[in-house]
Amino acid sequence: MLSVNHVTKYYDKVKAVDDLSFEVKNGEIFGLLGVNGAGKTTTFRMIIGLLEPSSGDVFLDGKKIDYSVTDTIGFLTEERSLLTKLTVKEQILYYGKLKGMTEEKIMEKLDYWLQKFHIEEYKERKIKELSKGNQQKIQFISAVINDPKLLILDEPFTGLDPINVEMFMQVIKEFKNSGSSIIFSSHRMEHVEMFCEKLVILVKGKSVLEGELKQIKKDYRKKNIHIQGKFDKEAVKNLAGVLSLEERANDFLVKIESESVIEKVFQVIKKSDEITEFRVEDPTLNEIFLSKVGESYEG
Amino acid sequence: MKDKLKFLTKQSLKKKIDTKWFKGVNILLLVLLLFLANMDRVVTFFGGDFEGEKNIYVLDEVNGFDFFSNTFLASSKSLEEINNYKVLKSSLSLESLKKSLEENKEDIIVSLSFDETNFMKAEIISFDEVNMMTKQMLISSLNSLKETMAFQNSGLTEDEILSLKTPVSVTSTYLNSEVQGENQELIASLAILVIILPCFFLIIMLVQMIGAEVNDEKTTRSMEIIISNVSPKTHFLSKIYASTLFVLIQGALLLFYGFLAFLLRGVFAGGSDSLMLTGSVGEILQVVRDSGIINILLQGLPFILLLFVFSFISYAILAGVLASMTTSIEDFQQLQTPIMLIIMVGYYLAIMASQFEGAFFIKAVSYIPMLSFLLSPVLYTLGQITIIELGISTLITGIFTFVLFRYGLRIYKVGILNYSSTKLWKKMFRSLKRK
Repeated sequence: MLSVNHVTKYYDKVKAVDDLSFEVKNGEIFGLLGVNGAGKTTTFRMIIGLLEPSSGDVFLDGKKIDYSVTDTIGFLTEERSLLTKLTVKEQILYYGKLKGMTEEKIMEKLDYWLQKFHIEEYKERKIKELSKGNQQKIQFISAVINDPKLLILDEPFTGLDPINVEMFMQVIKEFKNSGSSIIFSSHRMEHVEMFCEKLVILVKGKSVLEGELKQIKKDYRKKNIHIQGKFDKEAVKNLAGVLSLEERANDFLVKIESESVIEKVFQVIKKSDEITEFRVEDPTLNEIFLSKVGESYEG
Repeated sequence: MKDKLKFLTKQSLKKKIDTKWFKGVNILLLVLLLFLANMDRVVTFFGGDFEGEKNIYVLDEVNGFDFFSNTFLASSKSLEEINNYKVLKSSLSLESLKKSLEENKEDIIVSLSFDETNFMKAEIISFDEVNMMTKQMLISSLNSLKETMAFQNSGLTEDEILSLKTPVSVTSTYLNSEVQGENQELIASLAILVIILPCFFLIIMLVQMIGAEVNDEKTTRSMEIIISNVSPKTHFLSKIYASTLFVLIQGALLLFYGFLAFLLRGVFAGGSDSLMLTGSVGEILQVVRDSGIINILLQGLPFILLLFVFSFISYAILAGVLASMTTSIEDFQQLQTPIMLIIMVGYYLAIMASQFEGAFFIKAVSYIPMLSFLLSPVLYTLGQITIIELGISTLITGIFTFVLFRYGLRIYKVGILNYSSTKLWKKMFRSLKRK
């Protein structure tokens, strides 16, 4: 289990991370969200020991993270962190050895992963000769070659097409099922929503929202109503508690303040004979994110 | 962590040595050194106009042909491989000899005649300009002939003339036991050629290699993965060890190539002793042998080697620290210029050491780390500093290297993960205070 306890980091006089605390249990996927410069990378760097926190501690299975435990951590950086002049085999051997693995074990694992990602033929190819997507696969392999207890994924889907995103997600879920703790960051909220159970949203280094995704959605009182058909739009717009009415390609999206407004909207809609759909949904994580980040910036 | 240090060092060294470029460059270096050491042999091997027989016709009115001919042939002996001269007494007239020069343009006519006030006078006639070396030998032989004629006319006996012509016997006695004799400038030139010049190039290679490697890891962000698995200290040490090892291997290879080049020269010279060296190289080595410099060098060798190793490490540390601070190879290349200038200062002072014997400034600079490895061995070879002073210089560089590593590591730790050049120097100075 990973514990981040009241961690603060200053760069000069600038507070990059402000009293951040969270826990990631074994077999849990945790989302660390925030706009650019929110403090995500600094947090990751503190977790893997690249940066010393100004205050606070980071523990993995009750042990303070230092070079005695880093062999059990896998880290995928946001930018490509590959030595592009090396071949795939040389690169993975290099990083695997740095994790304290034997050459035999590394080769066995490498063959497994190359097969899994359908790129066996690239084993002897130089990394610079590979496409962006395949480079990302190699980077991912280098992060998981040691079957990490803690897997840190900073924007893992960068440069991947939807098929490969799906493949990565599957693999990440497999790691979760095998008991690894996974921390994950992405700008793509739909990815986070798909498999993060817990998350924290950072704004200027400070947590503005944290907890379990289900609970966050539940606590977020605003709802969305999808309507298909003809109805009195002005009447809906003028209802108290209706925040907005947006015409989209195939339907209308009505955003409301709370669950109690649903009934009021329904009363207006049912007057029409041409309604084919009336569906109430929880807001997306993207909306919650935008709302929370917006509030904090305004605040 | 020790295994990881070993692995990183091996990996870094492999990256430098196990490449087609390293092998290619070394083959080229070997070929070039073989060529440089045997250049004259190569030139004569392919032949040219110089090979043809050249006649020197002497029109002798002073009865000095035998003396002139013997003197000239003796002095031109060392050049007989490239100048095949024959000295002939001619009974033909000057005009017919001049005509023959139009066909045999390499031939020379030397006309000797009496002179009332100066004993004799001479005229050298050729079709084209005579090369400087040959002309010098001709003039020198003519001067000797004139001298002999003067002595003969003086009424001195032959023994007296012989005694007069024998050079004065001079014995040099030095009361200072540390003085290594004459030929200091030659020895200094040799020390610069054999020790300083290769070191100069090796340091440049070392600085460039360590800079490129650190920069490559930084710019590709693989540094983050590496440093998340090994400490910056381990990483830094691996770079220092690998580049110092590389320099020592390359230095040893250069020495080996040099040895092969001279060995080949000996083989070219022929004879039963294949190690026999001929010509100027042989003479130089003879001077070195006679001067006793080899014994002195052997005594100081442990200090000299230590001084080199410490200095290589110092430059590796400095290059590593500077590379860690920069965010691109272009920035590093700019920072490299002052390092090159530091080495240049040492190099030129080493050259000046034999001209300004006992110069206080040069001696003082020989204690300064990063310059001492260029100056101290030369000053020691010239007898301008003692083995104790060489030892002190080595010790100072050793201590400096340790301190440089201790404080350099603090900058390195911060620098390798810094991607911004904003307030760079402030960040680096602040990192010096952190333990």
